[in-house]
Amino acid sequence: MSKGKADANTKSEILQGTLDLMILKTLQAIGSLHGFGIARRLEQVSEEVLRLNEGTVYTSLLRLQQNGWIEAEWGASENNRKAKFYSITRSGLKQLAKETENWERISGVIGRVLRLGGRTT
Amino acid sequence: MRVGTLRNLWTRLRRSLRDKPRDQDFVTEIEEHVALLAERFRRQGMTSSDAELAARRQFGNAALLEEDRRTMFTIPTIDELRGDLIFAARMLRKNPGFTAAAVLTLGLGIGANTAIFSLCNAVLFRPLPYADPDRVFVLWETMVAKPITVAPANFIDWRNASQSFSEMAAVNSNAGFTLGSLDEPARLAGAGVSASFFSLLGIQFALGRGFLQDEDRPANSRVAVLSHRVWQERFGADPGITGKTIRLNDDTYNVVGVLPADFQFATNAADFQARSQVDIWVPLALNLERLQRGTHPLRVVARLKPGVTLSQAQAELNVLGANLARMYPADNKDKGIMAIPIAEQVTANVRLALQALLSAVGLVLLIACANVANLLLSRAAARQREMAVRVALGASQRRLAQQLLTESILLAVLGAITGSGLALAATRFVIPLLPADLSRASGIVVDARMLVFTVGISLFAGILFGLGSLLGIKRVNPGESLKQTNRVAGGGQSVVRSVLAVSQISIATILLIGAGLMAKSFWALMHVPPGFHTESILTARLSLPKSRYPDNRRVAAFERQVLEGLHGRAGIQSAGFATYLPLSGSDNGWAFFIENQPPLPVGTFNFAKYRPVSEGYFETLGIPLLRGRLFTAADVADSPWVVVINDSMARQYWGSKNPVGERLRFNGPPWRTVIGVVGDVRHQGLDGEPRPEMYMPVDQAANLETGPTIVVRTGLDARAGAAAVREVISAIDREFPVDRIETMEQVLSRSVAEPRFRTTILATFSIVALLMASIGIYGVMNYLVIQRTREFGIRLSLGATRGDLMYVVIGRAAGLTGLGICLGLGGAVLLVRFIAKLLFQTPPLDGWTFAVIPIVLAVVALLASYLPARRSTRVDPMVALRYE
Repeated sequence: MSKGKADANTKSEILQGTLDLMILKTLQAIGSLHGFGIARRLEQVSEEVLRLNEGTVYTSLLRLQQNGWIEAEWGASENNRKAKFYSITRSGLKQLAKETENWERISGVIGRVLRLGGRTT
Repeated sequence: MRVGTLRNLWTRLRRSLRDKPRDQDFVTEIEEHVALLAERFRRQGMTSSDAELAARRQFGNAALLEEDRRTMFTIPTIDELRGDLIFAARMLRKNPGFTAAAVLTLGLGIGANTAIFSLCNAVLFRPLPYADPDRVFVLWETMVAKPITVAPANFIDWRNASQSFSEMAAVNSNAGFTLGSLDEPARLAGAGVSASFFSLLGIQFALGRGFLQDEDRPANSRVAVLSHRVWQERFGADPGITGKTIRLNDDTYNVVGVLPADFQFATNAADFQARSQVDIWVPLALNLERLQRGTHPLRVVARLKPGVTLSQAQAELNVLGANLARMYPADNKDKGIMAIPIAEQVTANVRLALQALLSAVGLVLLIACANVANLLLSRAAARQREMAVRVALGASQRRLAQQLLTESILLAVLGAITGSGLALAATRFVIPLLPADLSRASGIVVDARMLVFTVGISLFAGILFGLGSLLGIKRVNPGESLKQTNRVAGGGQSVVRSVLAVSQISIATILLIGAGLMAKSFWALMHVPPGFHTESILTARLSLPKSRYPDNRRVAAFERQVLEGLHGRAGIQSAGFATYLPLSGSDNGWAFFIENQPPLPVGTFNFAKYRPVSEGYFETLGIPLLRGRLFTAADVADSPWVVVINDSMARQYWGSKNPVGERLRFNGPPWRTVIGVVGDVRHQGLDGEPRPEMYMPVDQAANLETGPTIVVRTGLDARAGAAAVREVISAIDREFPVDRIETMEQVLSRSVAEPRFRTTILATFSIVALLMASIGIYGVMNYLVIQRTREFGIRLSLGATRGDLMYVVIGRAAGLTGLGICLGLGGAVLLVRFIAKLLFQTPPLDGWTFAVIPIVLAVVALLASYLPARRSTRVDPMVALRYE
């Protein structure tokens, strides 16, 4: 269902899909994290190239959760307040593998296309 | 994945239905995120308010996020629907006047429909309380194609010869019992039945069993089955009643069974519906050695064999009837046999009336819907701007339609709830007023069929009048409507409104014509002279135990004693006894021969109603003596046998000749001399023609199949009169119960209960219809005046008089009304023939009704349009022009 929707949709959806992939990877690499932590990690890894409204992280998290790729648990944040911690599920791992492969193939193709010498006008 | 999708759908559905605008957990999570961000900024040296702002900026639009979450977690259509419902409810709450008007109108319409439907449900549609009731038939002998009750010998012959029926049973319900084992003797209605009667109907006994074949014989027949009511009221629902003995008419009977509470049996509508209801059942126990073919006391029921059709059975019965006529010409000549489904038998009289009422009430609902549609249209006009804003913001027509339909269906549901309440109240209130023919309806229950009906009808209504408001939005043009601040909707709406008003008026015309015809017919019925006086007359039916009053002489002696006892008592003017009281539903007739009359052609015979009466009967009921003399105390068994005939009989059999002094006899001797001629009496009902009747003294009667009814003319009130009668009777026979004392007026009133009931209901409906239609025309005219205020202002300033404006408005109202009335008259002409059978002395196309009703309607409609017309004359041209 959500697949069909993603396929049919436009640019922002692709970007969101990318964010989904990055979050999955982050959770796979680090383990359980809350939304704030994920945002910090993305900031750090992208060396602040990727500037995002941190709210969109939550849209991704909701979607991933709905697909059953991540799960959430209540825990305590750094300053000891209630926060939700997310971790990747078994089907999330499978999805990550699939998407990573997919991404690498597509980015490879795009890379090749972009490296083609163009006519200068 | 599939399972996941399903689960997902389920969670979404659940969340869509839950009224939880925001997920608190989600909010907490986001707040925490923002707080952590702000803390980080503070640590980088920002002031705390700047840090807060920067954190919010970096987080982005939390409200949008919330929206995303909603669409992700819910199903949009259902979510929309929920929103529509909440919005609709809010709209209705904010317009209490509108809501109350619409809900009440609908409530009346739906309530009336539900009430009438539940009546029909109980009386017509609910299956009879028998096993497989469609296979049960009532068999009649026929004489000149009219059904008559059955002679015992014929019944036995039918039962032996017929192949089409698996079982056949006879009932004789002319038995009364005095239940004597208790302190106070009680008179109970009794019936004798064949042993197979209960098994034929498929009755499950509450206690015990029915009769055995062996008990259906004179020697063994002292067994009884009790009705559920008697078991409860007289025997305290004693669970050990079976096997006990009770005393009936001074004989001892063994109780073998108790019938279930819902048991009902009769072979005609009035008795059946009234649950008149036999209290004690005993075996019929026909004496097979001495079967009669000349008297006809039995009613016969039969169950059709599986696989046999009614027409096959009827064909067999025709042959059987012809054979019996050949074999026993003396009694059976020209008699046939007829089978009628029992369901038809017990609803025949009321089916048509109820169908008429059901159609009428359906029309009332249509008018109600038109009214609500009109209300919605007015509101749609007022909401034009709202709709325009919605369209401008991107709402689709479909979305607007969905919103409006939700509103109208919500209204309809509220109407249905109100209506059901009204219907329940109405049935509770109306049940005691129900005529006997309809009182099976006292078993009104709310069953699935009724619920489906009410829900269906309210959805139907909701969609129907919702269509009205949909027409209103078709023409929403956001640009136009937003620019103009105070224009009301364009011409399209007023066409719709006019159509609604015209149809309301035409439907109201049809209903009023129907009600007018019924009312006229009822009036005619009530003005039929019954042939006797009804004022200040008390009646009571007595049942004399056969043991102490075995023959008519003994009965006559008892009657004489009672009359002597009453004679001269204060307040008692006169008294007498009848065997068959007019309008009471009991009747009997005999064939007779006239002395010196040439032999009758084959297949014809003289026939007259048979009326054993006591001295004083004619005087008490005020039946006039036209010729000769009446019975006196001297007309007893040993004196010459005499007969008094009525005017119809005199004219039919003697023409212009004076019948006094002529002689006639029944099957056998002796000859009876006609001593007098009295006026006709409408015995069978006010709507029936008088029949030939012959009266004879009780001592000289041929047989008495039923107990006597006393009639007393008294100056006392009913209670004191009844006390006097009781006192006299108990002085003669202490063990003699007298209950059910009625005035003759009550008897008369009961005989017209069914036409009165339907006339009253129909009249009520048509008045409601008239009111609603006049509200409808008021609405249209009012709207017209508002819409044309500006035009009227211009006209006034150009020199039109206020009279001219009145003329415009009233003229339009008159046009619509006239069109509606014409259409209604056309419809009525087509429809009235369906109720022709319900009308008495009133032709369906009665000129009087067809002339008066349109006038009434026109007057009411014009009165309704007068108010708006008046308003049009008060338009101030300056104000009207400045208006926009």
